[in-house]
Amino acid sequence: MEIRILLVDDEADFVETMAKRFRIRKITVAPAYSGVEALKLMDEQDFDVVILDVRMPGMDGLEVLRQIRLKRPLTEVIMLTGHASLDAGMQGMNLGAYDYVLKPADFDELLDKVRRAAERKALNVRAQAKG
Amino acid sequence: MSAPRPRASLPQSARLLFATATGARLGGERTLVLWLHFLLPPALAGLVVAATFASLPLAALLAMAALIMAACSARALIRRLSETEDARSSLNAQLIQSQKLAAIGELSAGIAHEINNPLAIIAQETEWASHLLSEAEKSNEADFAEVRDSLREIRSQVDRCKNITHKLLDFARKREPVLQDVDVARLVDDMARLVDKEASYKNVSLTRKLPEDLPTLRTDAPLLRQVVLNLMTNALQAVDRGGAITVTAEADDDSLTIHVADNGPGIAPENMDKIFNPFFTTKPPGQGTGLGLSLCHNLVSGMHGQISVASQPGQGATFTVRLPRKLGGGQA
Repeated sequence: MEIRILLVDDEADFVETMAKRFRIRKITVAPAYSGVEALKLMDEQDFDVVILDVRMPGMDGLEVLRQIRLKRPLTEVIMLTGHASLDAGMQGMNLGAYDYVLKPADFDELLDKVRRAAERKALNVRAQAKG
Repeated sequence: MSAPRPRASLPQSARLLFATATGARLGGERTLVLWLHFLLPPALAGLVVAATFASLPLAALLAMAALIMAACSARALIRRLSETEDARSSLNAQLIQSQKLAAIGELSAGIAHEINNPLAIIAQETEWASHLLSEAEKSNEADFAEVRDSLREIRSQVDRCKNITHKLLDFARKREPVLQDVDVARLVDDMARLVDKEASYKNVSLTRKLPEDLPTLRTDAPLLRQVVLNLMTNALQAVDRGGAITVTAEADDDSLTIHVADNGPGIAPENMDKIFNPFFTTKPPGQGTGLGLSLCHNLVSGMHGQISVASQPGQGATFTVRLPRKLGGGQA
């Protein structure tokens, strides 16, 4: 199954390295360095999974998540956070995030979560096609 | 007016003594009957013992009388008990009904409050816009920019209302769960890691006891995460500094069960029935929406499971989520 990821984080180094690691596993990754940029990309393309940093300058991850749910309700979102704020975690899960991962995330673990999130999206798409 | 019946007119001081000694709140007549029920059989029994030494036939006679007395009083007590029982169950039914009504009341109050604010802004902006338009008519010089501002504001407030109603619809809607194989032990541990830091701030221990051979479960992963996270957060809010939260899981052939236990103050018996009602909260205003547990209840029902709570006041509370391992009807 081909998976298309959107990776959103204001730390450019982090995004670039992680994008490389996904790409060598034949996963398509689009980088975005802010919430606004991410939403713009989502208007243009359909992604299976968004990996979204919670704490970003400007529009924060939770607000981006809120807009993604309206814009692309089938796209699954994995929240990534450096600071374990329980409140943000609760909000994120209640807004319909697929999962919540603490930084530094173990890459294989994250990859597994991405695959499961993509599987869920495919199931949802199939269910919707059926009516 | 008839004179008071002699039975009821116990000397005032004696009644006072009675009341003080027993704390009885019953009317004088009833108290007397009640005390007769209790006191006569032992008194007779005492007489029987005394009479045994004097004359056996007398003792037998007295014993008979005592037995009959005891039987009579037992019957009367049983009748009274069953009457109270009936009254209690009918009261209970009334109470459940009134609690349901109270829940609906709280729910509508919450919605009304949420929707009233944007409505007030909409009303104000409409008035302002029409004022601007009538000014424009008079002077033939229109300030359309401000009118447009008002319209934009109205639009955004309508969106705000829409958000609220969507949220409520979300709340009411039964979304079909998306089933995947879920490693429940890992899921619970992932969510616990989110709670760990906040727990350590509060000096609360968060212990996981998850068996290594816990089977995977076909269920909706994000929904289950939401339930587990909500229950752990709820437990964290319930305990004081130095409290303890324990999350355990176990499985049998039919179901997988997750328990979230805390050693907080527990749940008052009168709140047990309301604990899963929307907008019910015991937290001070602003510190909880009262939606967490009712959301859990909805989510768990959506996953065809059951959620329950056990609590003894002062000894903490344990929330239990039981999820079926085989969903009826095979693949959903």
